[in-house]
Amino acid sequence: MSERREAAVKLFTAANATVDTNRGETYYTDLYRRCEARLSELRAMAPQSRINLHEVLQDDGFDRRDFMKWASATTAMLMLPSSFTPLVAEAAELMNRVPVIWIELQDCAGNSEALLRSDGPKIDEIVLDIISLEFHETLMAPSGHQAEKQLEEALEHFKGKYLLFVEGAIPVGVGKDWCTIGASGETFEDHLLRLSKDAAAVVAVGSCATFGGVPAAAPNPTGAVGVMDVVKGKPIINIPACPANPANMVGVVLHFVLTGQIPELDSLLRPKFAFGYRIHDNCERRAHFDAGEFVEEWGDVGAQNNFCLYKMGCKGPMTFNNCSIVRYNEGVNWPIGVGRGCIGCSEPDFWDKYAYERPMADANIKAPFGGVEKSVDEFGLGMLAATAVGIGIHAAASALIGKKSTECGEES
Amino acid sequence: MKTKRPFQRVERMTPTMRVIHWVNVVAVVAAVVTGLYIAHPYYQTFMADPAVDKYVMAWNRLVHLFAAITVDITSIWIAYMYASGDRHKPWMKLIPSKNNAVEFFEVVLNIFTFNRRKKFDTTHMDSFNAFWFALLHLLLVFMLLTGLQMYVQGLASGESSIGTWWPWILHVSTDWTLSVFGGNMGVRYVHHLGMWAIVIWTMFHIYVQIWRTIFWQEGDIAIAFGGSKFPKKRREES
Repeated sequence: MSERREAAVKLFTAANATVDTNRGETYYTDLYRRCEARLSELRAMAPQSRINLHEVLQDDGFDRRDFMKWASATTAMLMLPSSFTPLVAEAAELMNRVPVIWIELQDCAGNSEALLRSDGPKIDEIVLDIISLEFHETLMAPSGHQAEKQLEEALEHFKGKYLLFVEGAIPVGVGKDWCTIGASGETFEDHLLRLSKDAAAVVAVGSCATFGGVPAAAPNPTGAVGVMDVVKGKPIINIPACPANPANMVGVVLHFVLTGQIPELDSLLRPKFAFGYRIHDNCERRAHFDAGEFVEEWGDVGAQNNFCLYKMGCKGPMTFNNCSIVRYNEGVNWPIGVGRGCIGCSEPDFWDKYAYERPMADANIKAPFGGVEKSVDEFGLGMLAATAVGIGIHAAASALIGKKSTECGEES
Repeated sequence: MKTKRPFQRVERMTPTMRVIHWVNVVAVVAAVVTGLYIAHPYYQTFMADPAVDKYVMAWNRLVHLFAAITVDITSIWIAYMYASGDRHKPWMKLIPSKNNAVEFFEVVLNIFTFNRRKKFDTTHMDSFNAFWFALLHLLLVFMLLTGLQMYVQGLASGESSIGTWWPWILHVSTDWTLSVFGGNMGVRYVHHLGMWAIVIWTMFHIYVQIWRTIFWQEGDIAIAFGGSKFPKKRREES
């Protein structure tokens, strides 16, 4: 009973998607002071890596001015007043004080790839390079027992201080025993639970780690779930999308470095600074949507004129993400910008519910009584047709054998 | 020997109820026509017209939202009339009492025996119809909550032209639909299926009223227009 009441309370008090971009003078003055204190504390700490951000930036051809431009853009992205820009710049320099352990579970390494394989290292990626990455199996030189040893040392040394980045879904169903890691054959679930125990916070990166993503798509053969379904009692930050945008990863880490706290989250534990707005409301093709100008098929005149992709199944109106503003690869382009619809990759169950190239009414859904898969409209029309047939039969029968209450007065 | 019995006039819908009925008809038809377009734009705009001259999706959404708000207002009106207990007292027919249950099944039997069995008072509202109308009211409340959830997604800043209280109240009253129906897309699925349910509801409703008019010979269809039906007086009364 109390459990049920708790569930009901949770249902009606979940954090909503409203973004508060102006919290008033006192709030920001207070926050500024706290951030300053936090940064001076970090500066006093010994850096975990010897990499100096400005040297790396200089080597890659970025001057101080480029860096400050990036810092002011990132301040705006974090929804902080522009007076915070010097603090954000300083936080970026101090990012090598925060140890990060990055593990990969049931995934394609796409989020690591997004970080590494941009057309040229941009400031977002460089800043992520200088974080003190204590363990990342794909990127580190050691492997096997050596790698495990390094992980154990990092866990011991940075107990309670490290950020645990998780990439990939966790199989908890039949697939639990198929997916093991390391020589000891530890299951993904046990591995995650052990590593998250002493983490300062857990950051789930990409759609698989957040909501199960592609491994959890129907029929979900491994019983894959996201981090928040496995790890309890730890601050969890979800950065969904396929792949997660490096800008949002930097935003979360910077926010942690700057304030020592996790950013404000919505009911799906996504940071509101990144997932507070709908793609649709900041889409460059929105005017074509309102005008009713749609791409009817790939490559038609509408497509050549950058018309709205809604009829090709764009899910921008149902998807909360900042990629219509921040874009990918340092603002080069993004899915709708290249002429294909959004597939809702930052929403739960995106593969089953969003990633089809048809409008919502043509989406395939399953009947509650079995595996029959029909589109939403086919279901509705089917029910309507069944009603019409029933009415037709009743009308015909009434006409043949029905009895009118005539004036003869035979009814009692 | 045929005996002609005089008709009596029984008022069933007050002018207020009839106004609500026809306002609802227009609003629901408008909402279905525009809603189908919003879910899957089924006609195209002229390519040659510049975008500023057309505003097709926006007009459809505007009409849809105005129709929805109209239905919301009539729903509040209907709820008030249920609660205030106007002289027809439809809510008393919804109480799961023995009398109401018997009447409910008698009405069903009347339909499926093709009017060969009619053992209930047809002059007043029967419990089957009261139940059927209550079902529509529940469907409309359902559409209201799921629809407003989709609407508030565009008010992410928490601001609106009429103040912050409006998005706030929408979040408080409709955010639970996200967890219950499966996220932004689940809410859209059920809202769309709810539309089909209302179309099916309407089809059955119109059929039953026409069928009753033909087989009962009491002019039931006239209720929605003139407010009264015309059953014959009982033999003992005539």
